[in-house]
Amino acid sequence: MSQELRINNNKFIDQTTRLSFKFNGEKLYGYKGDTLASALLANNIHLVGRSFKYHRPRGIMTCGSEEPNAIVQIGNDPSLTDPNVRATEIELYEGLEAFSQNCWPNVKFDIGGINNFLSPLLPAGFYYKTFMWPASFWEKYEFFIRHSAGLGKSPSKPDPDIYDHKYYHCDVLVVGGGISGIMAAKLSAENNNETLLLDDKNTLGGATIYQNNDCFQIDGTHTNYWLEKEIKKIKNIKNLTIKTRTSLAAYHGYNYLLAKENLTDHLSPDERKGKIRQRLWKIRAKKVIIASGSIERPLIFNNNDRPGIMLSSAIKKFIDFYGVKTGKEISLFTNNDSAYETVISLKKSGVNIVSIIDIRDKSSSKIVKEVEKHNIKIYWNHTIVNTEGYRRISFIEIMKLSDDGSGVIGKKIKLKTDCLGISGGWTPMVHLFTQSGGKLKFRSDDNVFLPDKNKTPSDQISIGSCNGDFDIKDIILNSNRDVKTFLGIESSPFDNLKVESSKEEKKKNIWLLPSDKPIGKTKPFLDFQNDSTAKDVKLALREGFKSIEHVKRYTTTGMGTDQGKLSNMHALGIIAETTGTNMGELGTTTFRPPYTPLTFGAIVGRNIGEFFDHIRKTAMHNWHVQNKAKFENVGQWKRAWYYPKNGETMFEAVQRESKAARESVGILDASTLGKIDIQGTDASEFLNRVYTNAWSKLAIGKCRYGLMLNEDGMVYDDGVTTRLGENHYIMTTTTGGAANVLSKLEDYLQTEWPELDVYLTTVTDHFSTISICGPNSKKILSKVIPDLDLSDQSFPHMSFKNSKINGIKCRVMRISFTGEHSYEINIQSNYAKNVWELCMDAGKDYNITPYGTETMHLLRAEKGFIITGQDTDGTMTPSDLQMDWIIGKKKFDFIGKRSLYRSDTIRDDRKQLVGLLTDDPREILEEGAQIVEKLNQKPIEMLGHVTSSYFSPNLNKSIALAVMKSGKKLKGKKFFVPMENKNINVTVTDTVFFDKENKRLNA
Amino acid sequence: MLNFETTVQDSKSYGDLTLSEVEPILKINLRSNKREFSTKIGKLLSIIPPIEANTSSGNEDYSILWLSPDEWLIYSNKKTPYEQQNLLEENLFNNISYTNQGSVTNVTDHWVMINLKGSKIYDLLSKSSPYDFKNFKMKKGSVAQTLLNHTDVILHNIDDNNINLFVRRSFSEDLWLWINDSARFL
Amino acid sequence: MFIINCPYCGERDQTEFSSGGEAHIVRPKQPTELSDDEWAEFLFMRKNIKGIQFERWNHSHGCRKWFNVVRDTSNDKIHAVYKMGEKPPVNK
Repeated sequence: MSQELRINNNKFIDQTTRLSFKFNGEKLYGYKGDTLASALLANNIHLVGRSFKYHRPRGIMTCGSEEPNAIVQIGNDPSLTDPNVRATEIELYEGLEAFSQNCWPNVKFDIGGINNFLSPLLPAGFYYKTFMWPASFWEKYEFFIRHSAGLGKSPSKPDPDIYDHKYYHCDVLVVGGGISGIMAAKLSAENNNETLLLDDKNTLGGATIYQNNDCFQIDGTHTNYWLEKEIKKIKNIKNLTIKTRTSLAAYHGYNYLLAKENLTDHLSPDERKGKIRQRLWKIRAKKVIIASGSIERPLIFNNNDRPGIMLSSAIKKFIDFYGVKTGKEISLFTNNDSAYETVISLKKSGVNIVSIIDIRDKSSSKIVKEVEKHNIKIYWNHTIVNTEGYRRISFIEIMKLSDDGSGVIGKKIKLKTDCLGISGGWTPMVHLFTQSGGKLKFRSDDNVFLPDKNKTPSDQISIGSCNGDFDIKDIILNSNRDVKTFLGIESSPFDNLKVESSKEEKKKNIWLLPSDKPIGKTKPFLDFQNDSTAKDVKLALREGFKSIEHVKRYTTTGMGTDQGKLSNMHALGIIAETTGTNMGELGTTTFRPPYTPLTFGAIVGRNIGEFFDHIRKTAMHNWHVQNKAKFENVGQWKRAWYYPKNGETMFEAVQRESKAARESVGILDASTLGKIDIQGTDASEFLNRVYTNAWSKLAIGKCRYGLMLNEDGMVYDDGVTTRLGENHYIMTTTTGGAANVLSKLEDYLQTEWPELDVYLTTVTDHFSTISICGPNSKKILSKVIPDLDLSDQSFPHMSFKNSKINGIKCRVMRISFTGEHSYEINIQSNYAKNVWELCMDAGKDYNITPYGTETMHLLRAEKGFIITGQDTDGTMTPSDLQMDWIIGKKKFDFIGKRSLYRSDTIRDDRKQLVGLLTDDPREILEEGAQIVEKLNQKPIEMLGHVTSSYFSPNLNKSIALAVMKSGKKLKGKKFFVPMENKNINVTVTDTVFFDKENKRLNA
Repeated sequence: MLNFETTVQDSKSYGDLTLSEVEPILKINLRSNKREFSTKIGKLLSIIPPIEANTSSGNEDYSILWLSPDEWLIYSNKKTPYEQQNLLEENLFNNISYTNQGSVTNVTDHWVMINLKGSKIYDLLSKSSPYDFKNFKMKKGSVAQTLLNHTDVILHNIDDNNINLFVRRSFSEDLWLWINDSARFL
Repeated sequence: MFIINCPYCGERDQTEFSSGGEAHIVRPKQPTELSDDEWAEFLFMRKNIKGIQFERWNHSHGCRKWFNVVRDTSNDKIHAVYKMGEKPPVNK
């Protein structure tokens, strides 16, 4: 380790704990407390990556989340590797391995660097302009672009890490643990507010915690000492929860905020095992205090992107906080006073300052005077016109600014320097404020967009430098005042603090600093990651782009992973200047969440794998599993699909099950059907209104099939409803429709028909349903419930009986969805598996065959029974389904009745349900296949499509249901179903294929 | 008697957190907007259904949870054998449903009741419930109907750090797995 | 994500609710007497306003009650919440 760049006795770095890490394969050392960036700089490594388009060498530029250049790949494990990590944010741990991105074969020699020399050929919109044409070449272009571009590698294997979610409710949320955030948190928590304080760093205190400078004092001590004491004190406040390493990602309406807490990214791989990696906080705060701070602006001048050129504030943090000298011969280039704070810090640590280049004429503030005492050369009214040094800055060239600042004059001075700090003023971090719906106003003194107090959503304030206060005196005074008002606090321990600071007196701003060369020959970078320069923005304007949102996308300025945090303001400034617009009127591009990138892991939390979606199971589920059922997802339910035996294919199993159900007896778990208990004196009237058919005359103990429509007349759901008593019914719905039907019925009862005395209660999970079907079903049931009279006279089709099985009450319905003689046993779910087993036992001698949903679908298709959602799609009326018989025409009204004779619903060329038979009975149609009449037509007219299709073992031929234009009139006509390799000949038939006379119901 | 088989059939503990299904518990859904309903229930169970939202009433034997202005859930505080469940259900049905004072529906197996006990139960719930438990936590007898891991649940605060959770039977195994998974990381 | 003050249960997270579109569209008492156009007006026509809108919401994961909400669709601010059958507390 290059010890000469490290300062001893730094309180933020634990120099007793040495950590080894690797960068691009080279083994290096740092200390506990370092970030990867500070450790690299301590090893004298500035060059860390290449730019996106020109592949120019780029170095560490900042010390925070705004970093555009030092973007690295962490680790190379195919499931754990993490791309696009900012070296300035990742904390060093033992064994960290990092790699430069976006360069090949390596960061020092990068083939793509040739683009740098081609750069005159790669202006803004180059890709859009060039690769547009010819369109057929796009795939070839894409191959090339994908290879030469690229920001890191995605992991290729599933992420084994654990991610957690947490909902959190508090009175006050304080975002940012800098000096104003600390003050706010203290005021809030000590005044009886449940308070949460978040900071994205591992230490609180923001930039003040290392501001150890005579010019800035609170109550007679340096600001850092004062703040340190305050932080110690707030850690003991009961109402205050502090979360460090937690970054606010999004601020939504109603003070709903998302924050990501990093729990293990700073630990060595061994220490991480079994722990939660990141936690997504979903915060609801009654009030929010934003103290998100500000980011220093760079300056835009020719070749301002070389490694070693850094923000002045970053140089200061590296020396004051991390104890790392970023160079030995440092120069500073500024338009404001804050660079002078860096100078004092560097001087204290014995770093040689080459010179200060200040574009202002003069400044006589306290801090400037302090610097002047050190005898450092300050070039007032000068600018940098060029820099040199390929992998690291080596020289700067400076010239005097002309009177109006638009050009340079005089002699060029060349200065040797190995690190250049640039300072272009400060940009308040208003991202969160605008995400929440706040509007900005422009302050022209120092060209900043600030939260507009009059256009701030209620229950939030911004304080500190994100609110435009940059002087420590203003920060303390205004934060204290604003928080007190916001939280209704009368007095505060900060009321009478004595604060000393250096007041900045002069400001000057030039968005694009001039060079002695014409702009076309310069490279003043705006977006360092995307390589867009000031001249790209100007070109875009010349080409007619006016909206800033368009300029952004055309030039890609602000579209890197830093999302324009660093220099979007300069782009806006240059646009405003070039077009002669006021910046306030121009506005900003939209700040969208997340503020810093979120991992997919944090977003999904534990809802992966077995928790990806709910799994609903019936009471007989384990029986199905033990009997090797294959399962089908129906909504969230797992339903037994078929039960393959001895290596059967699905087709074979379904053929066997279907035959057994018709020839002897089959058993089906029908528990997933929705069940609604309906009680009340108006229950019959209610059913009259919700179903198309009539219900008043249904006798107690009888069942009836009902069809439910939407108000638009389209079939919505269907099922059998049973009259249990005078004012008591049980309705069944489809599996998928259960929740929606209940909510729709509640809707009508609560809003349209509140006068009806009807109560609905779902009992879907209370009852399990076992359906026994086939000519031997009666024999099975008589064994399971011996004392039940099963004679047709006493227990005919479409009726029900209360009974008991071994002392447990049950309801038995004689209803059929297969056309066979069948029964449904409804019993409390906790006993259902046992009853199922009893049925299986009772059926042994009759080859009782469990069948799944596929066989059920096949059997009902043989009978032409529809499945809502399969044969209907929300555009089918009962008449379209050839079910006119179920319309109670004499009824005064029911849901959807009026729609049944709208001009559109009575058209006779609507798609209507038909049966289809293939000319070759062995040919099975594909569901969804289109039906046509003329094969040679162009474009071919599609008349309809297949909705259900099976091979019927009971008819020994293929059968299908389909919807076809004017289908009702097409019986006997021939059509084609064109497939990829052949055209299948089909004939339209009746929808009922099997037992048209319904003889089997009573067999 | 038939074999009785619930979904969870298990009890687990993580630190001082214990999770267990309590069964057999009688559960009955009540709905009514009739005037005499409350008095009738009072006579039958010696408990008046609560009118205040998010609360419950109860005695040694039964709790009545407020679900909506016209809906309540009764459950037995003690394990109740089937015959006894049956008697109460019939008694309620005959006195309420049959006399058109509202509806009485047995939902014993519709809901699975899981008891959660321990100092970290609210940390557990906050992992996937958007509900603000601040008031619920403080007030014994509080009732909340909300979402837990995107599943509908009814929560009943029966004591400090001791709640009964009701989840639909078909979702119960899924939620149980989720609760156990989350409890590992408290 | 709003917080909605359910008139029965109190303030709850939006995830507990489902939206039911425009409020105060009354189902005609005698649909059969309406012309196609009149029925279509009831069936299809909705305002979808930018600004103050009267909406129906259901506390679907709570008490399952329907109620009305006055919401400014431009900023999601909820101005009032009232029960079914009640008059809007702000001018419609």
